[in-house]
Amino acid sequence: MTLAGRVASELEQMPPSSAVSLQVGVDYYLDAIRAVVDIFSSKRDVDVIYITATISYQAIVDILKALEIDASKVHFVDCISHTMMGASMEGSQVLFVESPTMLENIMLKTEYLMRKSTAKEKLVLIDSVNTLAIHNSNYVLSEFLHIFVSSLRSKNVNTLILTVIEHTTPELNNMVNLVSDSVIRVKEEEEGQR
Amino acid sequence: MAEVEKPRERCRTGIDALDSILYGGIPRSNTILLTGSCGTGKTSLALEFLIRGAIEGDRSMFVSVTETTDKLLANVIRYDFLDKKLIAEAKMVLIDLPVIYERLGLDKAELTMEEVSLLVASILNVVRELGIKRLVIDSITSIGYKLKTQEKIRDFILRLSKGLSALGCTSMLVSEVQPGTQAYSTFMVEEALADGIILMGNMERRGDLLRTLQVIKMRGTTHSRAKYVLDLTQAGVLLVPLLKGGSVNL
Repeated sequence: MTLAGRVASELEQMPPSSAVSLQVGVDYYLDAIRAVVDIFSSKRDVDVIYITATISYQAIVDILKALEIDASKVHFVDCISHTMMGASMEGSQVLFVESPTMLENIMLKTEYLMRKSTAKEKLVLIDSVNTLAIHNSNYVLSEFLHIFVSSLRSKNVNTLILTVIEHTTPELNNMVNLVSDSVIRVKEEEEGQR
Repeated sequence: MAEVEKPRERCRTGIDALDSILYGGIPRSNTILLTGSCGTGKTSLALEFLIRGAIEGDRSMFVSVTETTDKLLANVIRYDFLDKKLIAEAKMVLIDLPVIYERLGLDKAELTMEEVSLLVASILNVVRELGIKRLVIDSITSIGYKLKTQEKIRDFILRLSKGLSALGCTSMLVSEVQPGTQAYSTFMVEEALADGIILMGNMERRGDLLRTLQVIKMRGTTHSRAKYVLDLTQAGVLLVPLLKGGSVNL
């Protein structure tokens, strides 16, 4: 089984309304995205709301296109393009948040996309807590994760909280663990063991 | 054995988060002051209150004081749930107050006490005749400038809210305040007479400008007094709790 396939099959085990900490080594970032978008979401007919604070939505769409991955069921909340002065007009697939510091607006845009979605199942992917931590204090970020994940749970939405292992501090890990039900870890040594 | 008091009937605004903040909605027949500085979303929220009401069968009326209703509809956010049929079938009625001023011969700089009574009676007549259950006046501040004195403004609001309450009509009076002010109204009498105050504002935090909403008072119900951040979307007004952090009010 490919790495992306393994991650996708672990995602299959996710109980409803749960939050999962997806910890990926920096070299496995794309495999993790492929697992979520290409294998998991298309197989389960899930609408994915992809909150990107790391790279722009356009860059992710281009990558997915290059990998021939169908991203039609992915809706983006882009928190970084405005900051880079790179946001273009909002399309049907993307909403922009002016800055990764506007955490409430991330929640609001996600709520809007959830209202628009007609899919039975929805998944919110936060990419990534490491990037949000650059722009926000741990106190505010922790508060955000708690309120956001609790709110998503109450609406029967699954949440995936992505962290990049090499860039994560123990404090950040504790913050994510506090709101997560389980952890999926994808790194070289784990891969080697399989 | 003590008689258990019946809970007040609610007028659900249809804005889910606001109804949740109000533990089910505005107590029916209350008059609410919807106040805030420009660009905070007062008109959009008030319109959603009317549209949602009209959809649910509450005949609604919007009284526009400063801009024509045509211009209002052209500029306001294009709600997905606004079916033009609601207006065509008069389930939602839009009125330009200057037209009423003209018909009543009140198109002048200042109204007398008798003319204030005439204006209130005219509005209440329309509400009664059309069976209006939700009313918005946008804005009470603009009417106040025509009344000039606190005495006349107090009289206008008191008579109007009493009349509307008797007719079972839940109303929102939109009030404009200067940015940065601590007051809830321009003439300092509106807030004392209203049954409820919903304060909308702009809040700056580390260079980001957030729209906020806070229910300051609401007679007839318990309610959250926390501050919320709002977004005006085609799906309606959305609210989430304000994350605690250093902030400066504008």
